[in-house]
Amino acid sequence: MFVYILKKEFLLVFRNLHAMGVLFIMPMAFILIMSLALKDTYANKLDKKLEVLLQLEVKNDQMTALQEILNDNDFFTVTLSEDKKEQKTLLYEKKYDFVINMPNSIFEKIIHKNEFKIEMFTKPDVDQQRLTLMKNLLQQSLTSIYMKSILEEKKMIDLQDSIDSHYVYKNKDFHIQPTSVQQSVPAWLVFSMFFILIPISNTFIEEKNLGTINRIKSINISFLPIILGKIVPYYLINQIQVVLMILVGMYIVPLLGGDSLVIEGNIPLIFIISSAISFAAISFAILISNISKSTEEATSIGGLSNIILAALGGVMVPKVVMPLFMQDVTSYSPMAWGLESFLEVFVLGGSLNDILPDLIKLIVLGIVLLFISYMLLKRKNS
Amino acid sequence: MSIKIKDLCKSYGEKKVLDQISLTIEEGSIFGLLGPNGAGKSTLVSILNNILDKDSGTIEFFGKDFENNAAYVKKNSSFVPQTYAFYPDLTTVENLEFFGSLYGLKGKGLRDRIKFCIEITSLEKYSNIRAYSFSGGMKRRLNIAIGLLNDPKVLYLDEPTVGIDPQSRNYILKMIKEMNTQNNLTIIYTSHYMEEIEYLCDDIAILDNTKILLNNKKEILLDQTKYVEVVLGNGKKTRINTKESYDEFITFINTHPNISEINVEHKNLEDLFLKLTKQDLRD
Repeated sequence: MFVYILKKEFLLVFRNLHAMGVLFIMPMAFILIMSLALKDTYANKLDKKLEVLLQLEVKNDQMTALQEILNDNDFFTVTLSEDKKEQKTLLYEKKYDFVINMPNSIFEKIIHKNEFKIEMFTKPDVDQQRLTLMKNLLQQSLTSIYMKSILEEKKMIDLQDSIDSHYVYKNKDFHIQPTSVQQSVPAWLVFSMFFILIPISNTFIEEKNLGTINRIKSINISFLPIILGKIVPYYLINQIQVVLMILVGMYIVPLLGGDSLVIEGNIPLIFIISSAISFAAISFAILISNISKSTEEATSIGGLSNIILAALGGVMVPKVVMPLFMQDVTSYSPMAWGLESFLEVFVLGGSLNDILPDLIKLIVLGIVLLFISYMLLKRKNS
Repeated sequence: MSIKIKDLCKSYGEKKVLDQISLTIEEGSIFGLLGPNGAGKSTLVSILNNILDKDSGTIEFFGKDFENNAAYVKKNSSFVPQTYAFYPDLTTVENLEFFGSLYGLKGKGLRDRIKFCIEITSLEKYSNIRAYSFSGGMKRRLNIAIGLLNDPKVLYLDEPTVGIDPQSRNYILKMIKEMNTQNNLTIIYTSHYMEEIEYLCDDIAILDNTKILLNNKKEILLDQTKYVEVVLGNGKKTRINTKESYDEFITFINTHPNISEINVEHKNLEDLFLKLTKQDLRD
């Protein structure tokens, strides 16, 4: 009997092209798009450096030194010009991203502590982080030149190379920032695994609306194999998603110019995590299908819940860029439990002990949701 | 006697749906259950199929207590809902395999039963075609084929001819007659089509407003609708319901010497149904 229950579910899901699209095409597209879109954010550099024009009264050695220092980074290309062309024209000709008007004799003014103003012009859509970075870099460069002018060069210490940066998180002592593909693959994988709701609700609600569930209730059979029959095929589909999305991260994203997915941790752990996520996602889908009257209702409730859980869980906006308050909120989303476990293994090479608390949460959630569904299904008069 | 229902009651919250229902369904008979929308037919059939619980009353199924022998009841009865209760994306055989396996059939037993069900419903040509592409009549036949998989003693057919063409309807009605006579299958048939009930059923019950209004052999029920049509010498016709006013008929005969013709006619089941359930529209 169980073989035919499985066969039925497999046939129904593989013949549902829309569901296949949601389960496989959607996450692939998200992984590709988001890996490429966030590549520079994660790498902390730009594909194309921002163009900066320093407008001067007179070019001199100090200004050339300033240009050299400013050019020594991954973010800006600085050009000097004595031409006082209008800043708006320069910006909207799209040749420059920043136009900086340097006051005359700026270094003398610094040394003699005279007041001066540096005017920086940019378009309103510029990234605020880049604007701050530009300001800091300019301040740092001017300070450096000033220090060199008042100290002997050999006594100068370049502290830049002595500074090593670490990402320290609230709940972890040490954390390496993931590459965009290391964030995108697990994030959109978890998201798409929860979208198993689409095929489950399609078949389940069709069964309810067509009276098939009532027909099954009238047959001398326990509902346990029926529910198990729903779990096993969709669990296998979730695992196929895992393999395919990892392969996309490893082989397709690099083809399009992104980073290749590198898995730091133990591969079997990934399947342990995906099993726990799958169990929770399927149980959630069965419950939503159970309480919904139509496919539209299930898709709306389930889709909306998934999107909220994803937004809260660090799928859409990586947890690393969230403020502490929001990082606390993520701990309430089952998607975050799955995603954090994946990141632990993908990025940090974590062990089973590291992910066990999140796995337990996912499994307990799955058991509770499934139990509610079982009771609802078993109940007569429903 | 296959099913005996006594004082069955069912309510949804405060709303009473079935009130003191008592019926006896003979083994091997076709039992027609008639009633307007919302009369409680589906609730009664759902209770008899273990889909709903009753509030009170007793049911006997082939002499066994219904509640304490649920497995026996389920094994020996089958429910064919009004809806197409199968998987449109599966083929005829795939649907039959799935439901057959739920009935505990496997291997050769399952294959043989599937073959039988396909043959009796004339779906041989469509065995490996997905059901969503079927016509209404074919879908109805597949629905019935699934209901026959467990070789039931009692088959519940809920409006099995709704929305199909006359040819398919005719085929299904003949098939039901055949299954009844050849296999001594007890059939409980609900329908709005009075002529179907009149054609098929041996016993009929009319259910309305939570109660059984009438339950008897078809012939006895139809006998109640008999009337006499008296044709006078001038060609004028008068109808007298002999069941209701025999005295009126005698008086009429005695007072009209120029009677040229007396014909005994009867109305049909629909007239009786409308008379009993009134002609008000039901929601």
